[in-house]
Parts: sequence; C-alpha cells; structure tokens
Amino acid sequence: MSEKIKFLVYRNSGNGDIQYERYEVPIFRGMSVLEALFYIQDYFDSTLAFRYACRGAICGSCGLTIDKVPLLACRAQVSTIKTVKKPINLPEFNFGDHSDWDKDNEILIEPLPNMEVLKDLVVDMDPFWRFYREIEPYFEKDLIDVAPESKQSPEQMKVIERLVYCILCGLCWSCPVSKKNPNYLGPAQLAKADRFINDSRINKAKRETIVSRVIKQDAVPACEKFFMCNRVCPKGVMPGTAIKDIRDKWISDE
Amino acid sequence: MKIEEFDVIIVGAGLSGLRAGLELSSKWNTAIISKVYPVRSHSGAAQGGINAALGNLEVSKDDTPKGHAFDTVKGSDYLADQNVVMFMCEEAPKIVIEFESMGAPFSRLESGLIAQRPFGGAGFPRTCYAGDRTGHTLLHTLYEQCIRNNVAFFDEYFLIDLIKANEKIVGIITLDIPKGEFVIFRAPYVILATGGFGRIFKHSTNALINTGDGNGAAFRAGVPMQDCEFVQFHPTTLYGTNILITEGARGEGGLLYNTEGDRFMSKTAPKAMELAPRDIVARAIDIEVIEGRGFENAYVHLDVTHLGAEKIKERLPGIREISINFAGLDPIDELIPVQPGQHYSMGGIATKYKGDFGETDLSGLYVIGECSCLSVHGANRLGGNSLLETSVFGRAIGRNLLKKGLIQLPPLDEIKKAEVNALNVIENLLKQWENNSGKKPVEIRDAMGETMNRNVGVFRKQEELEKAYEDLKKLQKEFLNVHVRTTDLKFNYGVLRTLELRNMLDIAEVTAYAALWRKESRGAHYRWDYPKRDDGNFLSHSLVYRTKDGLELKKKDVILGIFEVKERVY
Repeated sequence: MSEKIKFLVYRNSGNGDIQYERYEVPIFRGMSVLEALFYIQDYFDSTLAFRYACRGAICGSCGLTIDKVPLLACRAQVSTIKTVKKPINLPEFNFGDHSDWDKDNEILIEPLPNMEVLKDLVVDMDPFWRFYREIEPYFEKDLIDVAPESKQSPEQMKVIERLVYCILCGLCWSCPVSKKNPNYLGPAQLAKADRFINDSRINKAKRETIVSRVIKQDAVPACEKFFMCNRVCPKGVMPGTAIKDIRDKWISDE
Repeated sequence: MKIEEFDVIIVGAGLSGLRAGLELSSKWNTAIISKVYPVRSHSGAAQGGINAALGNLEVSKDDTPKGHAFDTVKGSDYLADQNVVMFMCEEAPKIVIEFESMGAPFSRLESGLIAQRPFGGAGFPRTCYAGDRTGHTLLHTLYEQCIRNNVAFFDEYFLIDLIKANEKIVGIITLDIPKGEFVIFRAPYVILATGGFGRIFKHSTNALINTGDGNGAAFRAGVPMQDCEFVQFHPTTLYGTNILITEGARGEGGLLYNTEGDRFMSKTAPKAMELAPRDIVARAIDIEVIEGRGFENAYVHLDVTHLGAEKIKERLPGIREISINFAGLDPIDELIPVQPGQHYSMGGIATKYKGDFGETDLSGLYVIGECSCLSVHGANRLGGNSLLETSVFGRAIGRNLLKKGLIQLPPLDEIKKAEVNALNVIENLLKQWENNSGKKPVEIRDAMGETMNRNVGVFRKQEELEKAYEDLKKLQKEFLNVHVRTTDLKFNYGVLRTLELRNMLDIAEVTAYAALWRKESRGAHYRWDYPKRDDGNFLSHSLVYRTKDGLELKKKDVILGIFEVKERVY
C-alpha cells in the first residue's frame, strides 16, 4: 500500500459559496502538488478547477497558495512541502474558514491572493494582463529582417537578463500593496517596465513613455518596499529590486 | 448561441499562431483563439535555440542557408520535402534578425552580434540562443508585438470541431472555458497552429496541454494525417519527470557516460559523438540501458561539471534550475540522470502535394507548426529547427493569404446548417458522457500512454505495434462509453481533458497504424525487424485517412531534386 496524504482544498462555485474539501491522495516519489491535484480531479471530482500547462515551472499557469505560501504547484513537492524553508514575513492570506485544518499533516490548497476567484482555484487574471498592457511592454521599432542585426554587448544584455526570465505567473501579486490598492500596477508589471527601460536598444522616446507611466501614482511610488515579491518570485526576477532601480534612477526628489 | 465573424481565425497562440496573427492582423480582421493565455503556450519551453546561417562566429563565417538545408535534409533521413526545407533555411537569417528587431533578448558575442552555439547534426555552430530559455524569450517578444498591434485574442477558448460546408472550411466551434458556453467563429480561412501531441505518450517532455486538438479536429473533418509514425524521442530528458534537458547542454560540451564510465557515443557516431542527431543519440542511450550499462536499468549520465560554474550559470541557468528543483542535484557538481523521452511530432496534419505552404486538402484550411506536416523535418528533426519552422511559416502563410485575398463563404443557409449540426454533435456527445456508465477518462488516458510508451517507442517491432494498434482500437470502443460530469461547463477541466482525450486517441491510433505500415528503419522510426532504410519501397510520406471501414493509408511522393539521397553517416 502506498502512503496517503490529506489535502484540504478550497472550493468555490463562483457564486460566493465557499467550502474546504478534504481528499486523501496516494503519493509517489517525486510527486508534485500539481500531480496531486490531478489525482483529485481524475478520481474524486472531475469538476475541481485549477489552471496548468507545462508542469515544469516555465509557463506560469499554476500559481496557488499552498500551506499559506504563494507557489507554483508544479514545482512544490508533496514530500517536502512541510519541511522546506518558507519565505519570511509573509502576510496572512485569508480566503475562508478552515479552522479545522490540521497544519502538520494536511496540505492546504488555496487560490492566489488578491485576485477575484472565478471558480475553485482559478482566479481572474484580467487585471493582471490589463496592467501588463498598460505599461506598453514592447519595442516600437519598424521590423527589419536584413543583416546585420542591431548590436548589444554581453554586458548590456546582462543588465536585463534577470528581468526577461519573468513568466508572468502572478505570485508577486500577493504583495500587501496589491491587496489594499486594486489599481496598483503590480510588481511583475513594474519589473517588465524596468526590463524595457534598461534595454540598450530602446530609443529615448519609448523609454520616457514607459518611465512617465510608472513614476506616477499606483506604480513605483506606491511600492512600500516590503520586497515580498523578491521572496516569492519563482524565477529570481526580483521585481522589488527592479522597482527600486526605477525609483533610484528616475525619481529624484525622495 | 454566440457567433463571431472574422476574415481569418487562427487556433493556437504559440509562436506559429502569433507570427501568423501578427502578419494577418495588419490587413484583415483576425482572431487568435487559444485554450490557455498565449504566454503559457509550449513554444515557451524550447530551450536551446533557433537555427540560422548568420555566420556570426569566426568558425561559422562560411555557413550558408544551403548548408543548413543540407544538414536538415540529411538529418531528416531524406524524407523532408527539399523545396520547403530550402525556403525555410533561406528565410532563417531574416526571421532571426526580425526577432531581434522586435526586441528579443538574444545572448550576444563580444562583437555585439547574436551568439550561436553548436547543435546536433549541424555543420557549423548556427543555433542562435537566449541562454537556455530561447523559446520563452521569443514567445514573450512576439506576444509583445501582438499587443503592440492590437491583435484580437480570445484566451481560454477550446477548439472542439471544424465546421465545413460545400467542402470548404467555414469556421470552428469552441467552448468558452470561463463562461462554459459554446461559441462559433465563422470565417473563410482557418489556420490551425495547435502544437504537438506528445501527450499520447506516458513519458513526454511536452506540456500537459499538448494533446493534438487541431489534429483531432482536422482528422474528424476528413483531412489526412501525414508521417505520424515519426516521433522524436529527445535523448536527454530528466529521469523521473522527463523534463527536457536541452541539446544545448551537449552543444556547450556536455558528455554522456554509461555505468562503466565510457563515452558510449564513440560506438555509433565516432565523429559527431554527443552531437549526432537526436534519433541516433536516443537509440545509443537505450542500447546502453538494454545491454545492462544503464543506471538503475533506466538512464545514463550527462556530465557538464567540467564546463565550470561560471559557464553553467551563464549558458545553462535553466538546466541548473530544473536539475535543482526537479531532481535535487546541482549540475555544477553532480551528473544529471537522463533518458530518452517523447519530445516532438514530425508528423501532423497533411498538407497538399505541391500546394501553398501549409495548405490542406480542405479548401480554406491551413496548418502551421508542430500540428502540421509541411514537411521540413522528414523522419527526424534537427534541434533548433522547430522554433525556426514556427516563425518562418507563420509569417510566410500570413503573407501568402494576404496576397491571395479574401474568398467568398458558401451561401449563408449552408453555413448555418453546418453550424447547427456541429452544435448538435457536441451537445449530444456531452449528454452521452454524462449518462454513460463506463470508465473514467483517466483509465483510458493512462492505458493509451502505457501502450504507446511500451509498444511504439524508440525501438519497434511488428508484434508490439500490432498490440498497440489493437489496444487503441479497444480503448476507442471504451471511450464511447466514457463517463464524466458535463452539466456545468464553466471551467470544467474534467470535460476539457476528455475532449483532449478524444483527440489524442485518434492520433495515437494513426501513429501506431502508420508505424505498422512502415516496414523499414528511417530517422526516428526504428524497427528491430526491418533495421535498414528501404528507399525502394518507403521513400515516401504516409497519409492516413479515416474511412467507414477503419483507417486507410496512401503514399505521397517526397519532393526531392536539390540534394541527392544518400546513406546517412555521422
């Protein structure tokens, strides 16, 4: 007989009807939380809703709150979830009443915080994409396809390298500022702005357009320097550091 | 029911769909439909790079598109259509430079030009890359350009079926996943760019969403599947999860060892060694395991430790992260356990013999990327050529359609009749699934993956292929009685995954059937019982159709004429 582990899973019909359901899942070596959720969907309740795509921590689909920590479900290992080091100074995320949660023995699965729940573990990412679009995150040069390409030194590339790793998973929206200010553009969006601002190939006008948007309210000045985004980011993007970079370079009178 | 009208509908928002959409939306009312948010697409998983004879390195300054084309045709074991390959390789430098002008953050040489690395089966280092996250950076860059150009996206819509009237495509029926409602998209042109179908196998590097939805829909609409017996098994997938470990790891100097500490590639490819094409390296690894020189009877070691911490962090940071997260080891100090795993589908939706690129036998229906068979990869794809194929043909097909111009839809009453019919089909199917009392989808899905893995793998033989084909026919029957709850369709992934299974069963059956027919060994299709290539009987594409009596196979000529068909030695 294989070992079984209990999962306490947030369920929400989308009509305000919230409950936590318990499932006992047989586990295997190397099983991820995402695989456990599939087991529940396959064998206990096919209507359990959660997003997924790559299962390899590169697509950004499966962000969830697992044992009160925002994580990618595909990367979270069932066997070690109770023992791995957690990011420090996380706020209390509250989704509903789960007072009977056996903290030491049950894995608690909840949606990402600070986004509206559409069904079960699926959240409304529309604001996330809307704010992403709002910073106009793109090159505006004419497309050319004739050699040679425009040049960039390895050092210039290095400046933006960390920032282009962002997978837009939304874990950083667990930021306390996102909680209290629904208009806050968000750490991922500001990191994306920093990626373009710092690209050596971008022209002055485009850079200034992006800068002028993000140095206004609900953007860089709204950041309260919790740096929680740096701690929960699964890809080492360090959005908080990117926000600081914009502030240091473009907001003088602080 | 909701009906949306467009000039052209693109299904799939990976690199193929986005590049076509970017082109077409400049002039036409264009919709891109995707079952996931575009940046979640599997193009983002490509690691190693994109091939183009840019000649940016001193050692590669004599590289040419023709050299690239030759390597591709030889790599394909001479099954690729040579005119299509030639076009792709001539477009390659242009498409990479275009990506750069879109802002793609490529890795750079000291000269400031785009960096290039060696890859399997290539005469020169011609694989352009962005660390080991090339697909991710290209996907995000292209999505950014689509945002810039206000391309119309319909995210989280699932393609159910194609709709045709008077033997022409007239649209598609989809499920709006968040709302749980059916929506019809009506258009004179439909482009399928739905990606691969690796999930028909139990062990695959593919994303969980790679379920051949376009392939299933096209096949049901009567469009044949081409060359599906050619399945690429990537030599180096992480033991356990089968997550991809890029060929770039070997391109950067990574070495393969068996339990005896031998670099066993010396036996099969003494010159190319670890950088032989994927089919050859995958077989060599499996032979080591079969003959008892594998670890735990399952894998060999990939060693990159000698590259040093700095180079690994700079060139292979994603591989390091994957190894740490999913295998608990750091490749700076430790060896990576690797085994072959399903990776890419060379075959796909058949394109018209001597038609436009991507044009199918169903008028108005075009196909691009991994769901299609154009055929540029023949019997074996070279690493770095898939990202290339997506964007080259996404752009080319977009441009070609604009040049051709819009076409008339059939009479409206014919279209409406077809739409109502499509709606009835899916509504009845869902009703049936709710009322059925048979197996759960997972049981059928697992059995499919098991038999494909066991019987249609790296090495094949008659009895095993027959077993797979019989298993799949039995599973098809069981699927008719599958049970899943379908009353509430809003974010009902249980239903979506059953619709995906409907597509996968068809393609798995086609794959086993075509593999049974091909009694030779060529590229990725290796048969113990027919170990030689047989150009006399099999230098041709396979086309599989569904008839009322079951599957039927026809041959289609390979387009030759540029490179002479020769024995393949590395």
